[in-house]
Order: sequence, then structure tokens, then C-alpha cells
Amino acid sequence: MMNLAWVVPLFPLGSFILLLLFGRRWKQASAYVGIAATFLSLLLALAVLVDRLGGSTYEANWTWMTIGGVTLTVGISATALNVWMLVVVALVSWLVHVYSQGYMAGDERFSTFYAYLGLFTFAMLGLVLSPNLLQAYIFWELVGLGSFLLIGFYFYKEEAKAAAKKAFIMTRIGDVGFFIGMMLLFWQTHSFDYDDIFRAVGDGTLSPGMTTLAAILIFIGAIGKSGQFPLHTWLPDAMEGPTPVSALIHAATMVAAGVYLVAALFPLYEASHAAMMTVATIGGVTAIFAATIGLVQTDIKRVLAYSTVSQLGYMMLALGAGSYVAAIFHLTTHAFFKALLFLAAGSVIHAVRTQNIEEMGGLWRRLPWTAPLFLIGALSISGVPLFAGFFSKDEILAAAWTNGPRLLFWLAVAAALLTSFYMFRLFFLVFAGKARHHEDAHEAPASMVAPMLVLGVLSIASGYMQTPWFGSFLGEWLTDGAYRHEAAPGWIVVVATIVSFAGIFLAWLMYGAQKMPRDWLSARVPYVDELLRRHYYIDDIYRLTVVSLVSWISRLLAYVDRFLVEGLARLAAGIVGAAASAGSRGQNGQAQTYGAVTVAGLAILVVIFALTGGYWL
Amino acid sequence: MTLSAYLALALILFCIGLYGALTKRNTVIVLICIELMLNAVNINFVAFAKYGAHPSVHGHVFALFAIAVAAAEAAVGLAALIAFYRSRKTVQVDEANSLKH
Amino acid sequence: MMFLSLLVFSPLLGIVLLMFVRKTDERMIQWLGTAATVPPLILALFAFIQSGRGFRLERLDEARDWVRLADLPFLTDAAYVIRYELGIDGLSLVFIVLTAVLATLAALASMLVKTEKKGYFLWLLALEIGMLGVFSAANFVWFFLFLEVTLVAMFLLVGKWGGFERERAAYSYLLYNGLGSALLLVVIAVLLARTGTANFALLHEMLHNPAAEGQLIAPLTEEGRRWLLGGLLLAFAVKLPAVPFHRWLIRVHVEAPPPVVMLHAGVLLKIAAYGMIRFGVGLFPDEFRSFAGVLALFGVINVLYGALLALRQRELKRVLAYSSVSHMGVVLIGLGALNEAGIQGAIFQSVAHGLISALSFLLVGVLTHRMGTTDINRLGGLTKAMPLFSGYLLTAALALLGLPGLAGFVGEFTSFLGLFQTKPALAAVGALGLIFAAVYSLKAVLDITFGRPRDRQEAVMGWREPQASAVSICEPQTSGASLGEPQGGVVDLQGKEAVPAFILVALIVAVGVYPQLLAAPLTAVVETMMNGLGG
Repeated sequence: MMNLAWVVPLFPLGSFILLLLFGRRWKQASAYVGIAATFLSLLLALAVLVDRLGGSTYEANWTWMTIGGVTLTVGISATALNVWMLVVVALVSWLVHVYSQGYMAGDERFSTFYAYLGLFTFAMLGLVLSPNLLQAYIFWELVGLGSFLLIGFYFYKEEAKAAAKKAFIMTRIGDVGFFIGMMLLFWQTHSFDYDDIFRAVGDGTLSPGMTTLAAILIFIGAIGKSGQFPLHTWLPDAMEGPTPVSALIHAATMVAAGVYLVAALFPLYEASHAAMMTVATIGGVTAIFAATIGLVQTDIKRVLAYSTVSQLGYMMLALGAGSYVAAIFHLTTHAFFKALLFLAAGSVIHAVRTQNIEEMGGLWRRLPWTAPLFLIGALSISGVPLFAGFFSKDEILAAAWTNGPRLLFWLAVAAALLTSFYMFRLFFLVFAGKARHHEDAHEAPASMVAPMLVLGVLSIASGYMQTPWFGSFLGEWLTDGAYRHEAAPGWIVVVATIVSFAGIFLAWLMYGAQKMPRDWLSARVPYVDELLRRHYYIDDIYRLTVVSLVSWISRLLAYVDRFLVEGLARLAAGIVGAAASAGSRGQNGQAQTYGAVTVAGLAILVVIFALTGGYWL
Repeated sequence: MTLSAYLALALILFCIGLYGALTKRNTVIVLICIELMLNAVNINFVAFAKYGAHPSVHGHVFALFAIAVAAAEAAVGLAALIAFYRSRKTVQVDEANSLKH
Repeated sequence: MMFLSLLVFSPLLGIVLLMFVRKTDERMIQWLGTAATVPPLILALFAFIQSGRGFRLERLDEARDWVRLADLPFLTDAAYVIRYELGIDGLSLVFIVLTAVLATLAALASMLVKTEKKGYFLWLLALEIGMLGVFSAANFVWFFLFLEVTLVAMFLLVGKWGGFERERAAYSYLLYNGLGSALLLVVIAVLLARTGTANFALLHEMLHNPAAEGQLIAPLTEEGRRWLLGGLLLAFAVKLPAVPFHRWLIRVHVEAPPPVVMLHAGVLLKIAAYGMIRFGVGLFPDEFRSFAGVLALFGVINVLYGALLALRQRELKRVLAYSSVSHMGVVLIGLGALNEAGIQGAIFQSVAHGLISALSFLLVGVLTHRMGTTDINRLGGLTKAMPLFSGYLLTAALALLGLPGLAGFVGEFTSFLGLFQTKPALAAVGALGLIFAAVYSLKAVLDITFGRPRDRQEAVMGWREPQASAVSICEPQTSGASLGEPQGGVVDLQGKEAVPAFILVALIVAVGVYPQLLAAPLTAVVETMMNGLGG
């Protein structure tokens, strides 16, 4: 079945094209096309997975373009990582397709929504099958396009427009880093293929300096796409998109693409200590940084968005600490529980028609399915034992302790505390306490609950693929058996557990039982509170530095263009004009003067010819 | 006699003609000077026809042509001059400047 | 074989027939004018398909005596004979197909031109003859003659059918390009005087084969060649245009009627790229090396300068004009790289930008027709009233910013790939242009299609709040929009207008998804050039 892997992305592409052409006619039936297409993708992806479990890597390439003697190819590569991602993406995508049928019902551009979802799924599946950097870059950008279109789906809202534009531009900044890194690698190794690049790294064709430079440049691309500090600002704004989109793109799949890219290029990163340190540091800083902002957000989706940024930081930290498996493991569990949280949040928004958590409360009874499912997600992300997040987070902490700098380990622990705190702050505010005038709040239709149920099961079950107790199936398979469990001290598990319960307890004190005043923090250090509410002023800093700098240069150039360049042209024209009027003064009407000038000219030419022999070049 | 003597004569004649054509103010004198230049050319034609690398009759023929054309030209030139005199009451070259600027 | 002559001059038939049509019969003129662009399209596509099947394009060469300047006994027989020579290779063929396709589409798009249609189409067809001729010419004199035909035709099209400042734009165009042509003429004259021939193949042979060097009427020194190349490059830099010479382009883009800009941005600018490749790299490869660095530098300047200025413009046509400047910089970057990837990239970028700018200006034409303005400040929220149009406009913007899967990416990618080999630092600076490209194209297009309609327009468009899903209503909404049924004031892209747009998008996607389509006919050409470069 692996040789059919290239068909997997084609189903959603077909759905995109069909819906673009006929969607307006099919209206609400468009959903079935999208759901069927992604379901076929999922089935085929599962078949490929089964095939790959027992087999080895399959690769196929086709010519894309020849440049002189070089042939650039596109193709598929069914490595363990790629096949794994294929299944995760297809699965989450299918669930979101199903969920959207209920969530988006009644929207005028319903079919467009499904078309865009198809485009995005196609791009994401294509990305995770890439055997070379060029193809990865192509789909990388297409994934960005899908995200852009869906963020801007409510096109008539100025916020959506701004958010879509910002998402595209911020990720593009990262992409240019990717682009440059890719080009540098090409001229060092004369190939875009991962295998050739790894071979060049292995046999020393690639100098250490160039390895570090290329690895960091490509990592800039990952920073942009995965919303890492300092290019993270687009991700919270991306919540302007419809909520299923937030679940699919801005939580489960696309933002994990950066992590996937670094993982796919892992041998390149491993060869450079500096690059690994960069990845780990950025990851660790992002994890704690985003978690602190998440503490004070009042928009349900933004809390989740910052938590996504923070969790992606965790994955980067794992990669930087050399634990490829932990990163992919956390990527998988995160995809499930974060998608669950977003879909549950969507269900809440669907019920109460607001995104502000201050206006919610007491929804536990009104949403009998959503509430427990949300709780499962929250427990999982908080790293409560026996839930999926517990195992993957524990793996990352162990890796950070054994390979990473100590500081990063403690940052990660602190971030874990904050994570469980803000997640349960969210939970208590939304579901506990008094109901606040939501008399008509009701549970979502079955088409929305069913995908959440599946994700709920996965949010628990997916953790058992890789546990210290039952063995590391995932790790051994991903690394072809070379994986061995990190011999981390046992107290790390204890610390992680204590930390997650501490966060929950604190949240319960403040928001559940209300034994502690809510403004405990803001009353004591108001400026910290303000700092967090304004997202550390990052957006303002960008506005005041980069944006205004570019705008000033642009203004300056506009003046240069209008006055200097145009002025020079005018000057040239003026000189010609002046020469013409000077020349016409010479026309004095005296035939004898003309004759004299003619003779003089002839004399000069004769002299020149006599001296040079006729040729002067 | 060598070719160069004829050529020297023609050169002198041509230069006198040129000088006169460019400096004299009376149009009649200018026309006569132009005739001088034409005659210098005729001398060259005949001299080359007799003493040149490929002596032939072509040079003579050209000289005769030139004389005939010069005569016609003189006639036309004088006619133009008379017409000019009728309108301007002058034959001075430097006053014939209505084409300036 | 008369194939090429037939291809180049087939629009003449249309011109002759048009002369017999009454001026007032606009439907007939439109129909005939469009039909007249079809024969060259068919012939060009036929040649393209045949060459793809292995037909050797040299067999199409044509030669006929035309002018015999002098029969001097000490010269060889061929000397100073200017012949009527046409001949094409893969490079020319790609551009001929581009010209033929865009000419037909521009003719279709000309249905929005309302005044003096007869004269308009006469000159449009003349322009097409000139463009086809430029790419088919196998000798310098005919290249120049066809180039001047385009100059005159374009001057009249801009000057007569343009916007408010059309005459100023036309004169600007004529002056800059006339100067470029004058310089080109000097170079051609010197080459003709020195070698006695204007035929490209013969010139190439004489300038490179040491044995044939004896046939030169007078030797060309190393320095002399460098001057000639410098002159050539400068002449084409004005026509491209490279940065200090770009002001005419802005005026023409803004003032000329949109269908004419489709051809102008789509094909005429590419003549400069074609010239630089054919004559610069083709005839003076050794000397070209010393200019490569300067070209690449100017390329990067063009890219950044154009992009930064495009950021500030609030008029769609000006944004597109500066983006043209920026994209032509990529062509220079490819040439400056002077390797296989670079040259191929320059050609790709030329074709890609041809298609993309044609699409953009097609849409500009429609926008002007529907809204009466292309001022971004006065437009907004068009997606509601014109979803199809907005979709196409967004596609054009995405192609402009070099989205993979669309043609623009292939050109940019290949050009930059070339420069990264020779001058990585410069290339990295140039790559920043990719960011600015995203900013200006999205800013302009999203401001037009997304958001809410601007004040006055709401009434025209019969704006009402789109019916979103239940959920999005929870968002804070600004009220005050005039609700009600659409009054049909604004019509979306109609069938006849959508056809050219659809064809262009299809081509852009085809080239972007499978660039080998375009790379295949170029392989041989690029290889020959690289042999000339000794690389």
C-alpha cells in the first residue's frame, strides 16, 4: 500500500477543486464531499501505516523541473515519521470536517469553507510526505495559504482581514529564512533531498559552520510557522477564524509543521551543537513566555492559542534536547487533546455565543457532553497522571534534564505549573459557578459531539503508545529500534505530578472555591498584570520598530522616486532643451558661416582619420 | 611635369575659391569663387585621367560634364540672384539671413 | 517554408479586413479583431507542440535577400547584405507562444474599450505583428525594425486610448524607449560595420571562432566588445526597466488602457529580458562576466526598490506598476547569476510575470469598468458583491507574491537559486523582497476585497451583512450598514470576461505545478549558452 501513499493528499485536493467549481450549487451538501474525501484519505493513510509498521521506508520521485544538468524532483517518502504524521493529520482533519458540518451550518459560504479545508488538508498531507526540502517548502507555503484563507474566512470583519494578513506576513518572514537556508544547503550538497543532505553532513562535505547556519536559517522558518517567540504574534490573532479551523490548523496540524520540519531534518540539527541549543532555548523561552500570557487572557480561544504556543515550545525544547521521539510523541498527544479542547470551546461558543470567559459560567449541567470532554482535555494538557499529556510531557522533562541545560528544565517545570493553572482557571470560569443568563444554552448536535468523543478517547489512549511501564512502541518504531528510554531520575515524574496538581489546586482556590481573591496578582504587582495583558508589548514593539522603519524607508524612497529620479530625468530633458535653444542661436542665417563650420568639421574628421587610421575602438 | 604639380595647382585654386566663397560679401563674387572651386576639381579630373594609376578617358568625360553642369548652375544662380535683388534691393550675402533661428 | 512569415504577418489579414468594416459597427470590429489574433495563436501552439515532439526548429529558418548595401570588391560576397531572415529556437518559441496567447486574451479583454474601436484594433494588431517579429527575427536589423513597430503602435495606443494623462505617458514612453532604441541602433550599426552581417548565428560564429575572426572587416578589440555589450545592456535596461529608468513604466501602467497594459507588461517588457539573454549572453559571453556583478546588484536594487515603493501606493495600478519593477529585478538577478539556474530563472520569471501581470490588468480593466475607480481607499468588501472577481484578484495577488504552485514562484525560485550559487550574501538581501512582496500585494488586494465597502459604495453595491453561521454573530459588530437586497448595481465577472481570466489562471497554475512544461523547450538553449560561457 505504501506505493499508493501519493494518492492520500489527492482526495482532499479533489474535494477542493470540486467544491470550487460546483460548491455554490451543492450548498450544504458540500460537507459530504469534504467528509468523504478526507475519510478516504484517512483509510488509505491507515493502510499505509499498517504496511509501514512491518516494512521499511518506501520512496518514489518524479521529475519536477530540469535545470541544466540538475533534475529537481517531487515525490513521496514513507518514512516512519512521515507515515505517522500522515495518519495524525488525516485523522484530525476528518474529525474537523465532520464537526464543521454542525458548527458552520447556515453560513452563506459553507461550501467555500469546505473547499478551503480541503486545500489545507491537501497541503498538509503533501508536506508530511515530502522527500526533499524543495517540496517541503512548496507545501509549507501552501499550508500557510490554507491557514490564511481560513483565518480570513469572515472576510467582512476588519479583525479577520488584519489577522489573515498578519498570519501570512509573519510566517513569510520565517519562510524567507527557510528559503535562504534551503538554497545554501543546495549549493553545498547539490541536492534538496533529505538523504543527500544527511549524507553530506555525515561525510563532512558540509562544513560545521555551514551546517549551523543552514540549520538555524531553516529553524527560522519553523519559528514562524510554529508560532515560536519572537514570531508568535500571529497565532493568537489567528483565532479570528472559525473555531474548527483553530482546532485543525492553529492547534493540531499546521503549527506543528515547524516541529515536524526540525524532526525531519534531525540529523542536520544533531550535527550542530549551536543549532540544537538555539532550538532548545527558543523552545524553552516560548514555553514559559506564552504560558504567562495565557494566565490573564479573557477570550476562551486566546487562552487556548497561547497554550498552543507554549506546548509547541515544549516540543521544540524536546528536539533541542535531542529527544526526537519525545517531541513527536508530544506532537501527537497534543494534536488530540488540543483539537479536543478547541472543538469543545467551539461547542461552548456555539451554545453561549460569546468568547469572553468572564461572561460564562455554570455550563456543566447545560453541556453534559462538552463539559466532561473539555475536562478530559484539560487534565491531559495539565499532565495529570494516566492521561496522554502526562506521558509525553514527562518524556520531555526527562530529556530536558538529561541533555539540556538545567535552566531550561526548570523553565519547563514552571511552564507546566502555569499550564495546569490557566487551563483550570478556564475550566472553572466556564463550567463551574453560577450560570450567567444563558437560559437558551444547549448541547451541540451529534455531528459535533461525536468527533469530540473520538478525540476524548484518544486524549487518554494515545499516551499508552509510549510509557515507562508498558514499553516504548512509538519510539522504537520511529527510530527503527534504536530507541532507548532516557534513564532519567525517578523524581522527575513526582515533580511533574505535584506541579500539575498544584496548578489545578491553585486554580480551584481562586476560581472554583473562590477562597482566594482573583485579583491577587494584579493587586500586588499591577504592572506585571498589565505587561501580561498587553502580551509583553511585543506587537507594539514591532509596530514601533520594524513596521515604522520599513514605512519610513518606503516614504523616503517615495521622495527619492518623485524628486531625485524624476528630477534627474527632468534635468536630462532640460539639458537637451537648453542645448537645442543654444544650437538654434547658431542658426544665424548666414550661409557663409554654415559653410565655414562645415569645412572646419571636415578638417577635424580628416585629422582624426589621418591620426587613427580610421578605427578608434 | 608630374601629377603633383597639377594637384598643387588645383589645391591652390580650390583654396582661393573656398576662401572667397566663405568671406566675400558680394554674391556675384561668391558665385565666381564657386566656379573657381569647380575648375579646381576639373583640373584634378583631367590630371588623373592623364597621369593616374589607370589612365582613361573617363576623367575627361567627367570634366566636360562638370563644365556643362557648372554653366547651368551659374545660369540658375544668377537668375536666383536677380530674383533676390528684386525683392531685397541688395546683393550682399550677409543680408540674406531670413532663415535664421 | 514560409511558416514563420505566416506566423508573424498573419494579423495583417485582420488589419486588411478591418479596413473594410464601418467604424460604427463595434460588434463586428470586436469580433474581427479578436478573430485576427487566432491564426498566430494556432500556428504558435502548433509549432510548440511539434517542437515538443522533437521537430527541429532550425528547419523553420527563412532567408531572402533584402538590401545589398554595396558591392565592394575587397569584401566577401555576403558582406553588407542585409537579408530578411527569420528563425526561432526554444527561447524564441516560448516568448512567441506567450505573445500569441496574451494577444488573443487582450483582444478579448478589449471589449471594455468603447471609443474608436476600429483604430484601436488596427494598432493592437500592428503591435502584435511587431512583438511576434521581434521574437522571430534572426537578424539584428529586422529585430530592430520590429521593435520600432511596437514602439509606434504602443505610443499611439497609449496616447489615444489612455487615461487622463495619456499624452504625457505616451511621450514618456516614446522618449525613454526611443533613447534605448537609439543606443541599440548604434550597437547594431557598429556590429554591422565591423562584421558585415547582422545575422545572429553568423555574428556568433564570427565573434567566437578564432578561425572566423579573419573574416571580420576590422578587428574588434576586447575593450570594444565591452563597450558594445555595455551599450546593449544599457539600452535594454531602459526598456526592462532597471531602476533609475523606471518612471515611464509607472506612467504607462497607470494611463494606458488595461488590455494594452496586459500586452505591455506581459510581453513588451520581456523583449528587454529576451534581448539581454539573446545578445548579451549569446554574443558576448566572455565580456558578460564582467557585467554580471553589476546586473545582480541592480537586480537586487530593483527588487527592493520596487517592493518598498509598492508598499506606499494607494492606487491598484500603481501598486502593480511598482511590482512590475520589482519583478523585473528578479530577471536581472537571474542574469547576474550567470549560471544555468539563473538564466533559466530569468526566462521563467519573464514568462511568469507576463502571465501574472496580464491577469492583474485584465482584472483592473473589469474593476475600472464596474467601480469607475482603482483607488484602494475608495474600495472595500468586494468579495460580497463580486465573489468570482475577488477570487481571481486574490489569485493574482498570491501569484504576484510568489506562492508555490503558481508560476511566479518558479521564476523567483530558479533565479534566486542561481544567484545563491555565485553571490549568496547579495541573494539573501534580495530574498527580503519576498517579504515585502507579500505585504504589498496582500495589503492592496485585501483592502479591496475584504472588510466592508467604503461609504458611498455601499449604496451602489446594495451591501448587506453576509449571513454567517450562528457562531460568528457573537462577534461584536459595527452596525449601520444599509441592509437590504442587492440592487444589482454591481455585476460579478461575466461569462465572456471570465474566460480570459480562467485561461490565465490555468496557465499560471500549469507552469507553477509542472514547470518542466516550460523547461523542456529551454534545455537546449540554456545548454548552448552555458557552452558559450565556458561553464
